[in-house]
Amino acid sequence: MIAVDGLAKSFGKRRDVPAVRGVTFDAPNGEITGLLGPNGAGKTTLLRMIATLVIPDAGRAKVDALDVVADRYAVRRRIGVLSDARGLYPRLTARENVRYYGRLHGLAGRALDERIDALFATLGLEAVAERRSAGFSQGEKMKVAIARALVHDPDTILLDEPTNGLDVMSVRTLRDEMRALRAQGKCLLFSSHVMQEVAALCDRIVVLSQGRIVAAGTAHELITRAGTTGLEDAFVALLGSDEGLAA
Amino acid sequence: MLRDRRTATVTLVSSIAAGPIFLMLIFNLIASQAERARDLTLPVAGAEYAPALVAFLERQQVNVREAPSDYDAQIRRGDLDVVLIVDDEFAADVARGKPGTVRLVFDRSRDRARPAIEQAESLLRAYNRLWGDQRLMLRGVTVSVANPLRIETSDLATPQQSGALVLFLVAYYGLFASVMGGMAVALDTTAGERERQSLEPLLMTPARPAEIVAGKWLAVCAFNALVVVLTLTGFYATLAFAPLPPVGVPFLFGSREFARFLLVLAPMILMLPAILLYVGSRARAYKEAQANVSVLLFVVSLIPLVQLFLQRKEPDWIMFVPVSAQYSLLNTSLRGEAPPLASLALSWLAPAALIALALFAVSRRLSREAILAGR
Repeated sequence: MIAVDGLAKSFGKRRDVPAVRGVTFDAPNGEITGLLGPNGAGKTTLLRMIATLVIPDAGRAKVDALDVVADRYAVRRRIGVLSDARGLYPRLTARENVRYYGRLHGLAGRALDERIDALFATLGLEAVAERRSAGFSQGEKMKVAIARALVHDPDTILLDEPTNGLDVMSVRTLRDEMRALRAQGKCLLFSSHVMQEVAALCDRIVVLSQGRIVAAGTAHELITRAGTTGLEDAFVALLGSDEGLAA
Repeated sequence: MLRDRRTATVTLVSSIAAGPIFLMLIFNLIASQAERARDLTLPVAGAEYAPALVAFLERQQVNVREAPSDYDAQIRRGDLDVVLIVDDEFAADVARGKPGTVRLVFDRSRDRARPAIEQAESLLRAYNRLWGDQRLMLRGVTVSVANPLRIETSDLATPQQSGALVLFLVAYYGLFASVMGGMAVALDTTAGERERQSLEPLLMTPARPAEIVAGKWLAVCAFNALVVVLTLTGFYATLAFAPLPPVGVPFLFGSREFARFLLVLAPMILMLPAILLYVGSRARAYKEAQANVSVLLFVVSLIPLVQLFLQRKEPDWIMFVPVSAQYSLLNTSLRGEAPPLASLALSWLAPAALIALALFAVSRRLSREAILAGR
């Protein structure tokens, strides 16, 4: 469960480049919430603030009632993040990569190994589990990164543009995994600039533009509010233009 | 790190091989110089003008040969070490009671030629004195009239203290190992981590930045220590099994020196990883970090050289200067003395402060959001 209230963040030497300007929304458990917006809308900054990596200038965000600034380490135990940066250690095998993060999350021994086995089985990674990640395909790397993000069984999962650079099969695996996690009652928040992506997966959609929320709700609510017939028209109407939105 | 076979192999093999290769080269150099000094071959031009001098030289086991006509060029090329030219007026001058002129031609900038040059000079001086003494005796004057000063020397260097070049190189290389040993790992674990985009996921774990930095530091230190131990083992093995005494390198590197080296280098083994981590954490990519580190390496490798060329007695405050203090203490150890405990303690001060400072700075950088920006 994520509760965001008036979050704002600016960058630059004089804090004169606003990235996020006062964003408020909730992402409940058992649902997939999508952050949709063109490139540069502030999606990554917003996710990083919720993920405790960036300190907000104003406003607050809570994960399961824990503040992302004051209780940042407690928050980190509860969230799994698949960020834009998905680098693996090329000299380590897939299993070792995930085990390393498990150890950093305080897991160890048989419990950790069983957890990794289960994750690799769901993601179809058994075949490459003992191979070094240096030669992995994009899809395989992404799956290992997901396993790494989920190794500590977090209740809240943040995914930043998870489908970037993936082929159709990998995207399908990712979607299936996200639906499975939703079925387990997890809170999922993911960002994308691809409209179909969001429409296909999300229970709730938050539309961001230039650091502000321009609309939020279910797909149906958005269509109703925009007074259009389809979702695509609704987005264009809400954003004021179709600039930056990939079809 | 060990899985990166190529880097690991290069680092480890070169560290263990460096000692033997270095020492073999030096021993060869010294041995061949000794050889040259023993069997001096002296090309002489105009030998017919001074047959007595030539006879003297031959009595001194000098191999006298006819000098080639292009001796200048051959000396410049390094084919000849030294050539003796007897002036064609030699016999006439001597007959008239004037000093006879002989000329030594050499290139003193050639280290290889130096023993031959020195030996030729000293032989000529000896001949000069012998001849002078004989003239005095003919005139019934005692030789001591012309030699009012008797010079006696007593060299206080213990056997280990001479062989300064070898001393310098062993100390220098020991120091160098502690600087270079952790470099690849330190940069890979900071700048490399950023470059391969595994830093952000790492920072997402509940591990505190300080814990992450401590882990990285200890890992780099362990590797650095391994490289230093291997390098010293290389020296130890070479000096233990190589046939040294004939070469005449009078210094020791036994298990006692081994232990003292490790003791003296310990602050370096711990300090340089911390500094390298800091430099690495400031860079966005491995290449950038390497460029920055090369400046650091230049400074560190220059310090012992400056000390070598200053050739002054070291001031007391040198123990506060990292690198300098260690270099000085390594030399003490090589001279067969125990490094004084007080100096050892002082030599820890600056490194300890720098370690704390560097590690603090790295963990500060890791907890700042700017580390995520710009890849």
